[in-house]
Amino acid sequence: MTMKVLLVDDEAGIRKVVGITLTDMGYTVFEAASGDEALAVFERVRPPVILTDIRMPGMDGLELLRRIKEISPDTEVILATGHGDLEMAVAGLKLDACDFIAKPMGPEVLEVTLARAKAKIVMRERVKNYTENLEVLVHQQADHLMDVERQCAVKGAVEGLTQLIGGVTGDVNGDEKGGLGIFNGLPCLVSVQDGYQRIVSVNQLYRDRLGDRLGLPGYDIYAGDAGSEAGSPVGHTLSTGLGQKSRETIIGADGSRSAVMVHTAPVRGVDGEIDLVLELAVDAGEVQRLQDELRATRQRYQQLFDEAPCFISVLDRHLRIQATNRRFKAEFGDSTGGLCYEAACGTGRPCFGCPTLKTLEDGQSHQTELTVRGKDGQPVQVVVWTAPIRNEAGEIEAVMEMATDITELSRMQDHLASLGMLIASLSHGIKGLLTALDGGVYKVNAGFRANDQKMVQAGWGKVTELIGRIKGMVLDILFYAKKRELQLREIQAAELASQVAETVAPKAEQMGVSFISEIDPNLGCFAVDNVVLSAAMVNMLENAVDACLEDRTKENHEVIFRARPDANGVFFEIEDNGIGMQPDTLSRLFSVFFSTKGSRGTGLGLFIAKKAVDQHGGRIGAVSEPGQGSTFRIWIPR
Amino acid sequence: MAKKIMVVDDDPDIVEYLVSIFKERGYATCSAPGGEAAMAVMDREKPDLLTLDLEMPDEWGPRFYRKFSQKPEFKDLPVVVISGLAGIHLAIRKAIATVNKPFEPNQVLAIVEGAIGAP
Repeated sequence: MTMKVLLVDDEAGIRKVVGITLTDMGYTVFEAASGDEALAVFERVRPPVILTDIRMPGMDGLELLRRIKEISPDTEVILATGHGDLEMAVAGLKLDACDFIAKPMGPEVLEVTLARAKAKIVMRERVKNYTENLEVLVHQQADHLMDVERQCAVKGAVEGLTQLIGGVTGDVNGDEKGGLGIFNGLPCLVSVQDGYQRIVSVNQLYRDRLGDRLGLPGYDIYAGDAGSEAGSPVGHTLSTGLGQKSRETIIGADGSRSAVMVHTAPVRGVDGEIDLVLELAVDAGEVQRLQDELRATRQRYQQLFDEAPCFISVLDRHLRIQATNRRFKAEFGDSTGGLCYEAACGTGRPCFGCPTLKTLEDGQSHQTELTVRGKDGQPVQVVVWTAPIRNEAGEIEAVMEMATDITELSRMQDHLASLGMLIASLSHGIKGLLTALDGGVYKVNAGFRANDQKMVQAGWGKVTELIGRIKGMVLDILFYAKKRELQLREIQAAELASQVAETVAPKAEQMGVSFISEIDPNLGCFAVDNVVLSAAMVNMLENAVDACLEDRTKENHEVIFRARPDANGVFFEIEDNGIGMQPDTLSRLFSVFFSTKGSRGTGLGLFIAKKAVDQHGGRIGAVSEPGQGSTFRIWIPR
Repeated sequence: MAKKIMVVDDDPDIVEYLVSIFKERGYATCSAPGGEAAMAVMDREKPDLLTLDLEMPDEWGPRFYRKFSQKPEFKDLPVVVISGLAGIHLAIRKAIATVNKPFEPNQVLAIVEGAIGAP
């Protein structure tokens, strides 16, 4: 069976390329160019997976996600993000998106993401099937009970029935305990016949197998002697007034024969005469077959439970573990009877956003991502998916929690996603820079044409500045794309600080920002990668200068660069009185591709600075007051 | 009086570039760095054509477009989208042309002349 995927993107080119890739992977692809079209296609084909662009004119991907989840919460929606828009992707995940892919969508990422979505759907399908099977069983048994109840309603049938049941269960179930229990599941053909052996009522199974024979003679179904009025079990009952028990052969509608055990019981009226006869025919072979099947099914479920490639646990209302599968035991130990959060997280209270608690509350399935700890203390990143387990009354008795280990996957995805985002976010930044460079060149040329030396100089200044920016961007990318091992060298911290100050000071002064450096000469030595660390600090100092240039409320601007020793490290501080930052900006400052500079920034600078400091085992942080200025602090251990 | 072209882009370098191209050809120009300011400039200057960058902070180009195109006086103002985002041209359906960055000055001038004629 091929899975249907609905691909939503406003760009025909992307739909085409991704569509071909998905078709090659074996999916049946439907396309839509907008959110509205997607909803229409969705109503028609009901694909289990939707891959949608976030940014689209009209209804955007998030709105589409919300609408789809309203119609069908089980449909998996994968968001495609461009231009490094992590915020929207995160918002999407909160709306229960299955996943997100950064544009451009390479075949590997698509394959991994879709396989994951598919696995989720298959797993859910299995559990659903199982639940539905159970429902069918319950339904059948209820029907059966209804029938039995109808028989009971026949005056005086109760005792006969009880007696019969005793006989039946004794016959077919002699080797097992629990007599009555199996009766419900038995394939009994039940009929009630009147004094002329005409059928008054039959149960559902009788009707299914032999047709609705109301009013017809009951013995017609038997082969041999039993197929006659006098020789049938009911005939014997009528003539002797006693319940009968015999082995007979039933001829099915298609002529097939099956051996049955037949029990009959007379039902007497108030006058003591036999009013009705109850006949039960039990297919002995069928009973055996059903029992075998039941055993095999149980075994299969146990196997599935144990071998499923995820950690499964069944939790009661107090989050106490009732059962776990083999993999769960292997990873977290046999903690049956213990509390789930103690076993899996080692904490004293339920996890934040516990999906099981939600399921207990609303009876729906919930999903979340958690980091738990295995027996060996290693963090394991899991996707947890819950399903309610209900008792016969429909009340939630327990919750099944399925957790899939995505540690490796998310590590890989992070890397793929950020590479994808890098390319997506830089392409338009670079285009902007190139256009501006064209502008500079144009100015130089216009200056030459007009023989205007000043214009040539201004244009050339622009070109030089832009080439510098492009160079910086390329270096950033190289640094980000390549995992660079630190080349540690023991150097004087004061020397590094002065180098940094010397690089930035002339630039700052040229822009009219005073640059003050306060470097303690007794910083001591530390082992650092000179190139990486000074690049990070230069970057941050340049940011400080930019922040001053953008501020138009103060007359004098200054950037102060301080370096002082502490007990076991060196402390650097970069203070400016520029425009400062809003709390919102502050909180996203060090995340990749976040930039306050629009197309002028890559969003890589501070991210790389943090990475550099982290690599040195140091700390980085910032405080800021909007309109007043910002202070960045770096601490590097000695 | 020369026809007036309004340039909206958040990158001052690109604004300067476009403005100098149009000026050299003889058009009058005005410009704005982005959304909020652009509306005021447009009301004051009443341009004959607009070049619009679509990736601007605060207020995206499309939103600005919707806003001014609701005013009857600017409803039929020709818009040339100049953007570094591929495929974004769909966002403004009525744009007379979409130019990708980096662009050819002559191409832009040809589009402008085609729409509003020589200065």
